Amino acid sequence: MNDLFGVSMDIIAAVSIAVTAGILLLVAYIAWRNPVMFKLGLRNIPRRKAQSSLIVVGLMLSTLIISAAFGTGDTLTTSVTSEVYSILGEADEWISWDPEKEPRPIEEQLIPLATVEEWQRQFEGDPDIEAIVPFQRETLPIQNQRSRLNEPSARIVAFRAADAAALGGLRDLNGAPVSLSGREMAVNEDLAKEIDARVGDSVIVFYGGQPVEFTVSAVVPSDVLAGAIDPNAKNGAAVDFATFADITGRGDNANAVIVSNRGGVKDGLKYSDAAMDKLEPLLEDTPYQVVALKKELVRFAELVGASFTTVFVVFGLFSIAAGVLLIFLIFVMLAAERKPEMGMARAVGAKRRQLVESFLAEGMGYDLGAAVVGLLAGIGVTLVMVEVIKAFAGDSLGIPLNVTFTARSLAVAFCLGVIATFIVIFVSSWRASRLNITAAIRDLPESRPIDPEAETWRGYYRAVLNGIVALSLPIGFSFFLFGVGGMVLGVPLVVVGLISPWFYALRSSNFASPAEHRTTEGLPRWPWILGLVLPVVGWFLILPWYFIAVGLVRITRDRKPQSLSLWVRVLALSVWPFAFIVALLQGWRVRIAWTAGVSVAFGAAGVALTYGGLDRDSAFFFLLGVSLLFLWVAVTLHYFGVAERVSFTTTSAALLALWYIPSSWTKPLFGELEGDIEMFFLSGMVMVTCGVFIIVYNADIVLPAIARLGSRFGRIVPALKTGVAYPLTARFRTGMTMAMIGLIMFSLVMMATINRNFSALFLNEDTRGGFDIVIGVNENNRVDDIRAALASAGADTQPIAATGELRMAFPFEAEVENRDGFENAEGGEVKPYSRSKIFGADAAFLAANGVTIKFRAAGYATDRAVWDAIAADPSLAVIPASTTAEQQGFGGGPNEILRLNPLDEGFEPFTLELRDPGTGATKVVTVIGQMKESADAFFALGSPDFASGIVVQKSTLLEAFPASRGQRFYLSLTPGTDEDAYARTVEAALVQASADSLQSLLDEQQRLQTGFLLVFQGFMGLGLIVGIAALGVIASRAVVERRQQIGMLRAIGYQRRMVALSFLFESGFIALSGILLGLTLGLSLAWVLFTSGDFGEEARNIDFTVPWVDLAVISGIAMGAALLMTFLPARSASRVPVAEALRYE
Amino acid sequence: MSGNSAPGAAPGETVIDARDVVKTYDTGIIQVHALRGVSLEVKRGEMVAIMGPSGCGKTTLLNSLSGLDDFDSGIVLINGQDITRMPDDKKTEFRARDMGFVFQTYNLLPVLTAAENVELPLIVSGTRPKVAREMALGSLDRVRLREWANQRPAQLSGGQRQRVTIARALVNRPAIIWADEPTGALDSATATEIMDLIVELNEAEHQTCVIVTHDPKVAARCHRTIQMADGQIVREDSRERMAAVANEH
Repeated sequence: MNDLFGVSMDIIAAVSIAVTAGILLLVAYIAWRNPVMFKLGLRNIPRRKAQSSLIVVGLMLSTLIISAAFGTGDTLTTSVTSEVYSILGEADEWISWDPEKEPRPIEEQLIPLATVEEWQRQFEGDPDIEAIVPFQRETLPIQNQRSRLNEPSARIVAFRAADAAALGGLRDLNGAPVSLSGREMAVNEDLAKEIDARVGDSVIVFYGGQPVEFTVSAVVPSDVLAGAIDPNAKNGAAVDFATFADITGRGDNANAVIVSNRGGVKDGLKYSDAAMDKLEPLLEDTPYQVVALKKELVRFAELVGASFTTVFVVFGLFSIAAGVLLIFLIFVMLAAERKPEMGMARAVGAKRRQLVESFLAEGMGYDLGAAVVGLLAGIGVTLVMVEVIKAFAGDSLGIPLNVTFTARSLAVAFCLGVIATFIVIFVSSWRASRLNITAAIRDLPESRPIDPEAETWRGYYRAVLNGIVALSLPIGFSFFLFGVGGMVLGVPLVVVGLISPWFYALRSSNFASPAEHRTTEGLPRWPWILGLVLPVVGWFLILPWYFIAVGLVRITRDRKPQSLSLWVRVLALSVWPFAFIVALLQGWRVRIAWTAGVSVAFGAAGVALTYGGLDRDSAFFFLLGVSLLFLWVAVTLHYFGVAERVSFTTTSAALLALWYIPSSWTKPLFGELEGDIEMFFLSGMVMVTCGVFIIVYNADIVLPAIARLGSRFGRIVPALKTGVAYPLTARFRTGMTMAMIGLIMFSLVMMATINRNFSALFLNEDTRGGFDIVIGVNENNRVDDIRAALASAGADTQPIAATGELRMAFPFEAEVENRDGFENAEGGEVKPYSRSKIFGADAAFLAANGVTIKFRAAGYATDRAVWDAIAADPSLAVIPASTTAEQQGFGGGPNEILRLNPLDEGFEPFTLELRDPGTGATKVVTVIGQMKESADAFFALGSPDFASGIVVQKSTLLEAFPASRGQRFYLSLTPGTDEDAYARTVEAALVQASADSLQSLLDEQQRLQTGFLLVFQGFMGLGLIVGIAALGVIASRAVVERRQQIGMLRAIGYQRRMVALSFLFESGFIALSGILLGLTLGLSLAWVLFTSGDFGEEARNIDFTVPWVDLAVISGIAMGAALLMTFLPARSASRVPVAEALRYE
Repeated sequence: MSGNSAPGAAPGETVIDARDVVKTYDTGIIQVHALRGVSLEVKRGEMVAIMGPSGCGKTTLLNSLSGLDDFDSGIVLINGQDITRMPDDKKTEFRARDMGFVFQTYNLLPVLTAAENVELPLIVSGTRPKVAREMALGSLDRVRLREWANQRPAQLSGGQRQRVTIARALVNRPAIIWADEPTGALDSATATEIMDLIVELNEAEHQTCVIVTHDPKVAARCHRTIQMADGQIVREDSRERMAAVANEH
């Protein structure tokens, strides 16, 4: 895996290792400079072993998620790459006929051996190209005469012995050379397994319906020399070139040429670009094309790995976000626990910085421990996930999965975990260090100093000024990013933003104090050290700007004006650098309402994001911007004295309502806003945050209801009451924990519900299309009449109730007019024709099928009327559901496949032009219906490309695409016939046929889907560990905090179990609130998205189903685990010695 | 719930009977002999103060006699029942029914209102919530805090909080009230007010009060004062003697 979110993994690795090294150097410096405070921090770790273990478990989650996501990506990349190397061996590039350059029937797309020999001479001794190897290949049915087993699509290849030698030569499984002559065949391992072939067996290959007998002379590895080119279809064999040329009638021609580069199997790749540079000009004026096959496949493997990693990282973002909340919560609580100690330390002379250093020492102890544990746990999780994928996907993956971790991925996962945790620890340590010494020593609540400007416009002005100056950098970047204000506004904002953090850091230091208060203490050293130890970032983005800030503070510290006139203040907010000067000149003692100020900065960024979102049609930026504006409104209302409950409840409810508005409603106002998988994360974050605010500010209304329960529950009422009341008095920690659980539940519920409903949409009874068996037929050995063919092969045809035949033109051989002009190529180019699969149905198929139609054109009353009309008129067609899918929401984007505007019931029939890309011949058809999604799934079942297509009459297809060769039959069986058994009968009777029961294919699809869902749910469910660990930490802390109260409760008659129960109720209340919050928001949002048409028109009309069992299991696990985690602290609370607790202080 | 007249206990009878109570704390490094064979009798309706220097074992004695803490040897009979042999559940029930506690640090639940704090002992001993609330309000009325019933502890002054704890101690009309430094955290005016209240309630309800205190003025309000030193009772002082000491102070 080389990229993540489009950024090179090498760059990510270099930066993350450098930053981690910087962090470790900083910590080492602290240990050297201040060993006492360092030890003070470190020695806290073993003080409460259980709590420390819980903290490590909580902190490790980020590393675990990242390493498991990387591990999965590495595993897929390495597995696919290994398979590519194993199959292609020495083959690097692939030369074949290019029908776009010169259209010709496929059997005439040949390259004369003489031409290839000319190339061989031309490149003899070339420094990049080692060999050019022509060969013939064909997909043919094969039958083992001894075992009677068939393979309808074996890839048979024929190399000349001298040419094969250039690719390492054909060798058997023991490495001995194999030479082929006459009717000898070397079957590859995969084919040998499929048809149970052994050396000496007689096998029959069918070409044009004629049997040709071969003798198996060797079993060889499955590689390109033995027909294995496609990792999904490796069954193949090699035969003598002259013999095969005779059979196919191709004489001295090849239909493909392999180019082998210098170097071995892997290092040949590095010559690929040079080889392509030579081969492309060579083939420029010929009808041939060259493809860098190995390079493309390796790139594809990396893409697959990177896609999986990206998906897992995106889905893991919920857990990472929850992990960040937990880290913050843990350190805030640790700070609360140590408050008296810290107060005492400050009282005896410790500086704020030293408290931060002490906390950092402790935090880094946890951090490094957690990163190591997280890495190991991530490896374990990857192993489990890969095993689960293997168990569910089985052979359908086509490649063996071997768990692999690259050192780079492990290093990045470790470093990112360390960095993420460090940042949160740093912020929370800084927050913890800002304490009132007296209040801390006596463990009293922090009292707020009186601010004469509080709740005044003057104070708000100051907050706005400082908030925007302090956060100029992100605001400036967001302005740049979205083109708001351009360079005029953006550049000064960024410049101010680089200086201002240092200015505010200096503002609280002795250096910045007025002369009468200044001591001999010098400048703060930590920015110097940070600037020096962080490579590049420190040298260019810290040090120069710190020096400027020092200079500015030095100039202004003794030059503060008493007051500033109104026009200066107004000017400050209008002309940017001026705002910074006014901020510099404000008095050192004045209080700044930072919350209000920061919210204004968020509001400003919100404006930029909203504008940018509308400008770029991005739902993500638009809704993020609007959400930030709501945050600004809530904080501003609160600043001006509106009660917290009112301001946060109303704005949260309004924002929540906004998120529920379907995009179809907002479309007329804001246009069509595009969203992708990132919306999943954003919606979860914002909606859960709103929900948490509403609950924590309003849940006390349930207290009277609990009191009323008294008559029913008697003695446990106090436990119930305190179980709700205590969490509501500690809103911060309760809200954080609720948010952690709510976020994870939201993601799990959304995923389970969306999956269930899409599954119902695509995979249901309609997916069988009215048939029982699908039969794929080898393209070189087509069957005219399936019933007759089966009868002549001796099979019992009595069970066949009806048959249907489809002929197929695949997207590479069929084009359709891009009628509605959608962008359908890389770069968003609008091409006149798009690709599409086309099915030609025979009269029997059109008469017998039960394929359902979603929208019928005007004049067609029933589905049957549509199919009968197509049977009667060769110019009519129906299109698949996927053609009008909006391809927005989750996944999508421009591609080559035909896309049309959505239709409605009773639409006016319209025409589509079909074009053969080989000959350029066109044919016009009239569309009279659009099939349902389940019909798409019906046509996709049993198809290697799992794609549906346009359905026309068979005669129409053959006329429009005469070179198309695909064929498929459907059978409907008489009631009571065993479908699987009859599918086996068909395969045994017809060597060129592969038959499957449609129900079995359907079951396999659902099993696969369930398996992948389980993997994703398991992965996302890891985040629940965070929420549950948080509950454990909170409960442990509560036992310590409330020791005296527990003693009193026991003194006045609380039994031990009652004390334990009240703790369990507390955790239960938080967990249940989080679970219900996630459940309600996830279900309701999924319902809105389905029923509003935001998930596409096809989803609008489904019967929305709720996966109650899945949800009950998920909720049950979450609740059970939460209570289990609280059990230990609850038990220890119940065992508190009463007399000791009452003395405890 | 029983009233202030415990079964089998006639007025003036012994309510607390402690014999040779020994309690030693083992810190792992040293052993601290907190009680060295303390014997004590307290009669029904009596107010007894326990005084002595810090660390002499006053609170340990109170905790041992009230069943809050275990002791190593000796016997403690409360209303004739041997609490030494009671299992924890039974002892807890006994406390809920027959004892009330007042502590220096109030120990009110901050998340509950004054009335909810007061009704807590009733509810845990099985009283119906409606009855419990009526009794709690009645108890708050006796300490003249009825109008503050719906306030949380944080909204009350120190003296008011201590009055809530007294209301809580009285709400189940216990036979014995144990008070550990009930005025320790209060200014002298509020301390006097609280002691007036305790004395007034003792006279009205005839409950037995055992008060641990440092303050001779508090001790002077009790019928007798037990002086402790080094884990032993060293002497008993009468109300008059303590009044004289208080005056000297």
